[in-house]
Amino acid sequence: MLHPQTNVTACTAPFYRALSDEQCRLIHGASLEILERTGATVHYQAAIDLLKKAGCFVEENRVRVPAHLVEWALRTAPSHIMMYDRSGNPVMPLGDRISTYGTGSDCLNILDRGTGERRKALFQDVVDGICVADAMPHIDFIMSMFLPGDVPVAADVRQMEAMLVYSSKPICFVTYEWEGTAEIIELLEVVVGGAEQLRINPTAILYLNPTTAFRHNEGALRKLMYAAEKGLPTVYLPDVQRGFSCPMTFAGAMACANAGQLLGLLLAQLVNEGAPVILNAAVPSTIDMKTMVLPYVEPAGRSYSLEMNSYYELPSFSTAGCSDSKLLDEQAIMEATLGLFYATLRGGNMIHDVGYLESGLTGSLELIAICDEIISWLKASLQGLEINAETLALDVIHEHGLSGDFLESRHTLRHVREDWQPRLVDRHNHEQWQASGGLSMHERARAKIDETLSAGPRHVLPPDIERRIRTITDSVVAARMK
Amino acid sequence: MADKVQRIAESIYSGDVEAVGELVQDLLDGGMAPGEVLSDALLVGMDKVGRDFKAGDLFVPEVLFAARAMQAGMDVLRPLLADSEIASSGKYIVGTVQGDLHDIGKNLVRMMLEGGGFEAIDLGVDVSPSAFVDAVREHKPDLVGISALLTTTMAQMKVTIEALEEAGLRDSVKIMVGGAPVTAAFAEQIGADAYAPDAASAVDIARELQAA
Repeated sequence: MLHPQTNVTACTAPFYRALSDEQCRLIHGASLEILERTGATVHYQAAIDLLKKAGCFVEENRVRVPAHLVEWALRTAPSHIMMYDRSGNPVMPLGDRISTYGTGSDCLNILDRGTGERRKALFQDVVDGICVADAMPHIDFIMSMFLPGDVPVAADVRQMEAMLVYSSKPICFVTYEWEGTAEIIELLEVVVGGAEQLRINPTAILYLNPTTAFRHNEGALRKLMYAAEKGLPTVYLPDVQRGFSCPMTFAGAMACANAGQLLGLLLAQLVNEGAPVILNAAVPSTIDMKTMVLPYVEPAGRSYSLEMNSYYELPSFSTAGCSDSKLLDEQAIMEATLGLFYATLRGGNMIHDVGYLESGLTGSLELIAICDEIISWLKASLQGLEINAETLALDVIHEHGLSGDFLESRHTLRHVREDWQPRLVDRHNHEQWQASGGLSMHERARAKIDETLSAGPRHVLPPDIERRIRTITDSVVAARMK
Repeated sequence: MADKVQRIAESIYSGDVEAVGELVQDLLDGGMAPGEVLSDALLVGMDKVGRDFKAGDLFVPEVLFAARAMQAGMDVLRPLLADSEIASSGKYIVGTVQGDLHDIGKNLVRMMLEGGGFEAIDLGVDVSPSAFVDAVREHKPDLVGISALLTTTMAQMKVTIEALEEAGLRDSVKIMVGGAPVTAAFAEQIGADAYAPDAASAVDIARELQAA
């Protein structure tokens, strides 16, 4: 029996910092200087006007931001965002260093699991991807996964329709143009029961990629401001590429990326104080200086910058479970695993692009299944060690230690199912493995996908709501065809 | 003499802009013909740059600085060379379509073309079809390069080509398109003359189009 004891500190999870507080402060300071001294070009008059009114220095479309406004925005933006399923149940907490995982949107191609060939993605692949993501226990949110080559008009509307009809998991979505954004958000409102309901229990997040940290294009700004008004969470991620739109060196690149995102954050807070915004506060991109390819995975940078989100206490968005490989091969698994491990360790809240190959151009359903297993493994590996009377089991040890027969103890029976259980990883001995087909992990993943999709997609909405959604999307598509 | 020629080639390779200008002047002062300086020193230097880049031994910024070093040498030679000797491969206009603010790829193509001896005129980003037309009319280029990064702005490429047709200028130029969502099939569909998947091949393709 353990005796009562005060002042015991139980560190129940691994402790990891990518950057120290001092380093975060230096990056933050550099971003403040960039915003105040260099600023950015803002390509939407309404945004310029709002920023000017708040106290920014404006010359035509060049906006410079005084530090105090940034500090204010950081204070008013929420540190925690709870995401809900379509029925209003809280399912995905964003904030602190809690990690959740999801797919990506708009891959042009798919690595066909039947033929192994890389082919253009079709709408059926969008549906399949949603079903797979919906079925995987360790995938928390869904994105469209594929850009359907057989949907000539309003593919983004069709993608939202499919995500709403076939899954209840929180959605992270992209709209192609400003003009269609309101219509797509309206679909969400219809499903949850109104604009106010969507505001109270947000079930989707709008993903935005302004051109660069120094160039905020009209489309992204209009969407940001519209979503902020509605209280709809957004991800605001301008891309900066080291050696192209920001310095080659990481610290400067991070400061630029951070500055660009802080400008978006400020604008959202000016539209609606407390508007939920998700950033990867200082993530720069790399462009391989020989191949000109933007790698999706690399040793430093991508998740390193997540520490800034912890520093700011803002929910974060990251990228992992993906690869630059053209195949689902050793490189793919190496990169997916290392990416997921570091993004989780570094406190990424929304970790997206699970299942991406070829630097984001090709998707693989089998990779989603394999990453589901990797994530499950990671969760188990990062659990804290529980130390109490039951787990120390000193009496059990005394009873069975010398005779070595713990297998016969009820204590063993009580705890035998607590270990991580492999679903795709195989631990049989050779004979057993041969007997069940001698399959590779890729083959097992493929079988799992086949099994998942064999029953067909499940319809999660009440039939009348589904009908209403389809009617709306049909009319939107018809209008755009003209 | 041979030693100085070697040093020019090396200075180009290492992107030493200051050294090249001085060394070229040195060779001229020593009596070498401008045309020979061009072919034996400058072009030899750039040639190795091109080969080593293709082999994956040089990084893009190194190629760009080498090109700048070569331009420094050209600046000294140009007034002395006969028109026929000037290694200008042609005039090339580049721009990113209307509604699109992305320019990295376009800038890279422009810089690589300049390194390859082209005269490249950059119209910038968010370039309307009529601005493309005006530029073609004014500069009379051999080639027009159109860039788009978004699936939503790709459509503007076709609009731009149609605008050139309407203005009666389409046949006076060769059109090359590029950008992340662009494919060879798309290029053919919209009536472009060529598609380049990256900046390095853009230069090779531009040379082919020019020769045709």
